[in-house]
Amino acid sequence: MTLATATQPEEARDKAGVSHSGSRRSGPDTVFHLLVAASALLVLVVLGGLVVLMGLGGSQAFRTFGLGFAFHDVWNPVADVYGAWAPLFGTIVSTLIGVAIALPLAFGTAFWLTAMAPPRVAAIVGTAVQLLAAVPSIIFGMWGFFTIVPFMARTVQPFLTHHFRHVPGIRFIIHGAPFGTGLMTAGLVLAVMIAPFMTAVMRDVFAAMPNMLRESAYGLGATRWDVMWKVVVPWSRSGMIGAIVLGMGRALGETMAVTFVIGNVTAVGWSLFAPRSTVASLIALQFPESPAGSLRLSALLALGFILMLLSFASLALARMLRGDTK
Amino acid sequence: MTETDPQVAKSPEVALAVRNLNFYYGENHALHDISIDFPARRVTAMIGPSGCGKSTLLRVFNRMYDLYPGQRATGEVIFDGRNVLERDLDLNILRARVGMVFQKPTPFPMSIYDNIAFGVRLHEKLNKAEMDARVQDVLTRVALWNEVRDRLHAPASGLSGGQQQRLCIARSIATRPEVLLLDEPTSALDPISTARIEELLDELKEEFTIAIVTHNMQQAARCADQVAFFYMGRLIEVDSADRMFTNPKQQQTQDYITGRFG
Repeated sequence: MTLATATQPEEARDKAGVSHSGSRRSGPDTVFHLLVAASALLVLVVLGGLVVLMGLGGSQAFRTFGLGFAFHDVWNPVADVYGAWAPLFGTIVSTLIGVAIALPLAFGTAFWLTAMAPPRVAAIVGTAVQLLAAVPSIIFGMWGFFTIVPFMARTVQPFLTHHFRHVPGIRFIIHGAPFGTGLMTAGLVLAVMIAPFMTAVMRDVFAAMPNMLRESAYGLGATRWDVMWKVVVPWSRSGMIGAIVLGMGRALGETMAVTFVIGNVTAVGWSLFAPRSTVASLIALQFPESPAGSLRLSALLALGFILMLLSFASLALARMLRGDTK
Repeated sequence: MTETDPQVAKSPEVALAVRNLNFYYGENHALHDISIDFPARRVTAMIGPSGCGKSTLLRVFNRMYDLYPGQRATGEVIFDGRNVLERDLDLNILRARVGMVFQKPTPFPMSIYDNIAFGVRLHEKLNKAEMDARVQDVLTRVALWNEVRDRLHAPASGLSGGQQQRLCIARSIATRPEVLLLDEPTSALDPISTARIEELLDELKEEFTIAIVTHNMQQAARCADQVAFFYMGRLIEVDSADRMFTNPKQQQTQDYITGRFG
């Protein structure tokens, strides 16, 4: 403050303007300070509120079934017996399938866009990726329902059953009637949904890599393959983990698209081609039919609580892998 | 490399012969009709104001520009009897034979040892003992061995800037190239590290043909046998370092080395 005044003492008219940047808080500054602090604190309040609401709402279910609620595999509204394992299993497996398919897709697209594509083509494809990311999930749901489900039912499943039904390791994964719905279909749709987001993050990470580093590797006579695996991937490790977590976060909670293609049967099993359910799809479907105060509603809220913990856990895992403990 | 240009064969002292080279960044004509010889096992310094095309020329020698669509070169760069600009040339082999060091140290995200082994593994199958020997050899030649011998498997990013740059030079000579391209290799280094790199160049030129781009007149005078002055994409003058700095033929060269522009 004193410095600012000292440098321009003759400018009396500027006094009011100068005092804004000073340490003494004027009226508008105090208001601004309070506003930004409040919006930051609001984050904590909302987060805390969500956890408390889900926890309290689900407490009836947790009291009734104990902590075993999470690992009990029966979800039977008729008998009023609820366990989270079936939808939880569906959520985890479909997410893992989605990430496993999306990761190479996103990586390849991002690498190609930053390192190999002609600029004009890269601009077009880059925009297309952004547009794909902007498509509402209900659209993916309908696309999955009308395109992927029949394709899985008529082509993929009969093919797999025909060729692999006697292969011991694979038989139990493809077991089931050809409905076309299930974890594999959900995983495919999820992959298409999250790949654009992962591509965008990875593209930024690759673009942030110094050109000189890339050129150093090429300068030694490395092929694109060597450069990708030995230089780009290690260099962008933490950014790629970020991309994976972003994709996982979206896939874990994705509701609409998955509900369309998962088949919505609360069963547990290793077949990736049998109708299943996920936490989000189960909540979306059964929430409207669960009366207030019922054990069923409490079980759904408890599911929500577990889903939230799962998301937090994936974030924590990412931070651990990235090596920052803070 | 069987067909040999008769001209080059007669004068084995020339490692790189540039003839009528033109270079384009898209529509931008960056190098105009450059013709210059790089004598074998000598240091040639390329000087000139920013944007004069000296780095561009360097990047032609290992076809680095190939990474970027829209950049192209015409003319000839004869290296070991063959035109480097030929389309069907194996770039990976070319780049193993023409090493490059950049403005800033660019250690790969791996250990000191692996930084050197990386390039070697691309072109040679060595067993562990041979690789260890190669790593020790090149690190010794860049005077880094004694400083890092106890932490060869620590990340290269932990080295100081000067050490990292010497590691990068070691990495480049580990593939046993014939030509070393240095693009302002000391611009990010302190004076002491710079002096060590310059000493190193003096030793390396016994084995390698060195082309160095520099903004530092003193550096060019200290290190180079031959100096080429570039201006606006044209080669204005090329001569021995002695003559260039004491008695340049062109007025533009005179103005530049005396600091009147640039």
